[in-house]
Amino acid sequence: MTQAQALSGEIDWEAGLVQRARTGDARAFERIYREHSGRVYGLCLRMTRDVHLAEDCVQETFINAWRALARFETRSSLGTWLHRIAVNVCLAKRRKGAPPEPLPEDDEGEMGDWTLETPVEVREIEAAIDALPDGARDALVLHALYGYSHEESAQMLGLAEGTCKAQLHRARRLLRDRLGLEVYAA
Amino acid sequence: MKIISLRDLPQDIAPSRDLWPQIAAQIAPDTANAADATRLPASPRRLVRLRWLAAAAAVGCLAVGMWIDRSLLLAPKVEGGAPTANTHVTPGAPASLDVAYVSDPRYQRQRAALLASLQAQLNALPPTTRIRVLASLDTIGKAKQDLESALGKDPGNALLQELLVNTYQDEMRVLTDVRSASHAGEGI
Repeated sequence: MTQAQALSGEIDWEAGLVQRARTGDARAFERIYREHSGRVYGLCLRMTRDVHLAEDCVQETFINAWRALARFETRSSLGTWLHRIAVNVCLAKRRKGAPPEPLPEDDEGEMGDWTLETPVEVREIEAAIDALPDGARDALVLHALYGYSHEESAQMLGLAEGTCKAQLHRARRLLRDRLGLEVYAA
Repeated sequence: MKIISLRDLPQDIAPSRDLWPQIAAQIAPDTANAADATRLPASPRRLVRLRWLAAAAAVGCLAVGMWIDRSLLLAPKVEGGAPTANTHVTPGAPASLDVAYVSDPRYQRQRAALLASLQAQLNALPPTTRIRVLASLDTIGKAKQDLESALGKDPGNALLQELLVNTYQDEMRVLTDVRSASHAGEGI
């Protein structure tokens, strides 16, 4: 089940809020913000690794979303749409700061849920994810944490699907080395 | 806390501060522009309404009110005075409604009175208008049912409460628009 399908139950009432926000109703948009800001912030924080930068990205995401509401298809997931905008904002901010990293050449498909050989402390995993190179971390966060498919993750990141899979392979290898245990992508 | 799956990591993380005030400040000019559009002179205002009408076509409860508004603006003048533009104000309704208002006996009486006279007023309307109004009321009715059903499972959900109140407000708008249109005499 894709992220969009998992969230489909929320679409009906959200569509009403979106319609109202489109007519300039800031209160309706604030409801949307309250509902989604945590997930958007979680993604931005993991992509930027910086609290202040992540907050800036959240604000920019919702401002961009407000201005682009007319283009949002109410039949798709608002959460996914906001995540797409957030990824674009984070990538744009990152491009301003540093040159893009070289892409790995290997390509190995990673499917499904990512599990660890043994239970690990959350902070230890978060630190290991934090230490990943940008591209590998982006792919891992979208696919393994937020449950987006390879195709969705690749689209959000503006990558070919094979490249996204390669980044996941790299992320898995680096996590395994850092945590000292096997990481299964079942 | 230990976890074994990466999916168990928190997806939802609260920012350390409320980011909404700055977002609201940034989008404020846009909301002001939207409000200004309703105060434009007649001709541009009509264009704005037509654009809104197209955008709201998929939302029955909004569409009917705007369509009736547009029709009133376009209607020929009646001898002795210009047609009155509907301002979308429900008589006696506060600017901002809450759940208590919907269950208020005065509101319920007013709604019942409007519903009681609805059929007669609909009969005075052209068939195409009547079909549109009935379709919109049907959409609103279904939305109310869905929202009330959802609220039955989650009574404390503020979002659902607000949407339900808004839907009742939309229904009241349609009913008062129909009454205003039929009282205007010139038809819609």
